[in-house]
Amino acid sequence: MTPPPWGRLKALFQGALDQPPGEVRAWLRQAAGGDEDLIREAEALLQIHETAGDFLEQPVEVDPEDLVGPAETGPYDSESDAASYPADVGAGISRPGLEPGTRLGSYVILEEIGRGGMGVVYLAEDERLRRRVAIKSLPAVVGRDAGLRARLRREARAAATISHPAVATVYALEEIDDHVLLVTEYIPGRTLRDEMARGPIAPSRALKIVADIAEALAAAHDAGVVHRDLKPENVMITRGGAVKVVDFGIAHVEGPSITRQTVSGTIMGTPAYMAPEQFVGAGVDGRADLYAAGLVLSEMIMGQHPLLAEHQDVGAGFLSAEALAKAVSRPELPPPIAHVVARCLQLDPGARYGSARELLHAIEEIGSSVGSAPVSGDPRNSARWWWEFHQAVTALAYWLLVIPSWTARGVIDRTAGRAFFIVTLGAVIVSSTLRLHLWFTSRLYPAELRWVRSRVRRAVQAADWLFVLALVAGGLMIGETRAPLAIVLVSFGIGTAVAFLVIEPATTRAAFRSSTVESS
Amino acid sequence: MSDSREAAVLMPLVYDELRRIAAGYMRRERPGQTLQATALVNEAFVRLAAERPRHFENRTHFLAIAALSMRQILVQRARARHAVKRGGAPQRVTLDDARLGDIGGAGVSRLGGSRPGAIDVEALDEALTRLAAFDAEQARIVELRYFGGLTVEEVAEVVGVSPATVKRQWAMARAWLKRALE
Repeated sequence: MTPPPWGRLKALFQGALDQPPGEVRAWLRQAAGGDEDLIREAEALLQIHETAGDFLEQPVEVDPEDLVGPAETGPYDSESDAASYPADVGAGISRPGLEPGTRLGSYVILEEIGRGGMGVVYLAEDERLRRRVAIKSLPAVVGRDAGLRARLRREARAAATISHPAVATVYALEEIDDHVLLVTEYIPGRTLRDEMARGPIAPSRALKIVADIAEALAAAHDAGVVHRDLKPENVMITRGGAVKVVDFGIAHVEGPSITRQTVSGTIMGTPAYMAPEQFVGAGVDGRADLYAAGLVLSEMIMGQHPLLAEHQDVGAGFLSAEALAKAVSRPELPPPIAHVVARCLQLDPGARYGSARELLHAIEEIGSSVGSAPVSGDPRNSARWWWEFHQAVTALAYWLLVIPSWTARGVIDRTAGRAFFIVTLGAVIVSSTLRLHLWFTSRLYPAELRWVRSRVRRAVQAADWLFVLALVAGGLMIGETRAPLAIVLVSFGIGTAVAFLVIEPATTRAAFRSSTVESS
Repeated sequence: MSDSREAAVLMPLVYDELRRIAAGYMRRERPGQTLQATALVNEAFVRLAAERPRHFENRTHFLAIAALSMRQILVQRARARHAVKRGGAPQRVTLDDARLGDIGGAGVSRLGGSRPGAIDVEALDEALTRLAAFDAEQARIVELRYFGGLTVEEVAEVVGVSPATVKRQWAMARAWLKRALE
């Protein structure tokens, strides 16, 4: 029997639902016009409908474990700073951890330092070579499956050929009893995620970090290894400040994507850092890592993931090349850096940098321009000059006002006078120091100015307000005892308020035209 | 702009949020406790709408993406789990472009089998894909109700039909799927 046309079947089935129970059969015969196949099919479906009970009526029940993937459950133990170590986290394939003191071959487990879907990471001592190593104990399923083991061996072998100071070296893949252990260099230090948790990273430093990442990627790509899961959790910063990229290819055994899931128990990368082609399951090469590197670079400077930042309108542009570019054309990103990031974030891998080395060159070029004087011919230069002038003059004027404040202290009664002077002096110190810092940055490190401004703006504003209030309060406290001094203080207070409420926003707008209205 | 491209951008956000909620839940509750799709999806919406109002100002829109995310995540997990049981010789899954492809290959996180009596998500997914070939609306309604936990009214709004139509379509899709799964 060929299935009857769906449209007619649907009309019949749904029409029958409206009939009184006893009349369905008669109605069907009439409506189907004698098409027996159609009637049989409709009746069969109606029969199932009657007896289906609560089939599908309750929405799916989800085991939370099924949803938890990497990056969320805290990839490393944040309590222990010395031993923070990244790992894929998927919580899933759990086996009891290895106790400290456990001996596996020549390795003695010292402590657990990370846990993830791909296994548990331990700090261990290699007794043969007397050195500390990081050991990733892979899920038992890997040990039991010959195919997976073979694939993992291949991948580990490839990763082990990468030799670069910025890449955590793979020492060995050990198969001891039913444990499969990946032994790598142990890197004491923090992850880049930890670093970023302290606040945005200065552009010059961010460039240095991403240059190291690009070098690591170049070395890996040369060895035929694509990282595929580059993210701040997988970048370690050693105590000496060196950068090490970990987990190269390790969690990402080659082969069909589904195999990877089987091995690792985690998704193929962290969605927030995955290149578009990784989402659609297309072929992935090193350029996917460049996409992630671009995201990491912008996130370091902006302090938040550009595509997750709420100020942009991904919601309207939807992953068009323009939307991606727009997401990173933000005031915190110095234009040359924004340019590099935009190139990394191209939808089409072919439009990104061709290799990690190309990215590295681009970064190095910016590196040499950051710190140099502003490009001449920039129409904003004269506005910037006025803004700098305003900062310098304000800082100076605040200090001059310390003199009348000192005099006023003697006029006002003891305690209040002392308090008045301390508040005034404190506000002057904070505001003028920060303003001079801005001035200095603007002259010497223009590329970092926006970033510095975004950090100090609130402090300057608070100090300015405090200063104004102190001057006015001081003037009022003096009152008629020494009217001229009181008038001086109050009028300077008002003058200062006018300066930072009216004049400064104007010079700021002119100097930083592209940014949204803000005052510094 | 196409819905699928939009979903490609928003899905990682939704997926991340679902995961975050699940992780929080795991920390609080005993292992083995399950969450209902409705509760999960609604909680994800409340949080995302608060964090990123511009992306998620349209609730029905969000619900559609969330349902799709849930379906993909759960199906991927089920497949991977299945593959492990078969001895790790998984077949390549052919992805249907209309369905946006693989959400990054959401992986298995547990090697246990499905709960007894539960719906075989993998089989349901296959049946739904077949159903979609001749009645995309019915398949969508099932996806929204079952994987997204949407009410009839919410489904009606997402699909753009009356609640009565949703009920009729649902009845037929349910019957057809039940037979397809037997």
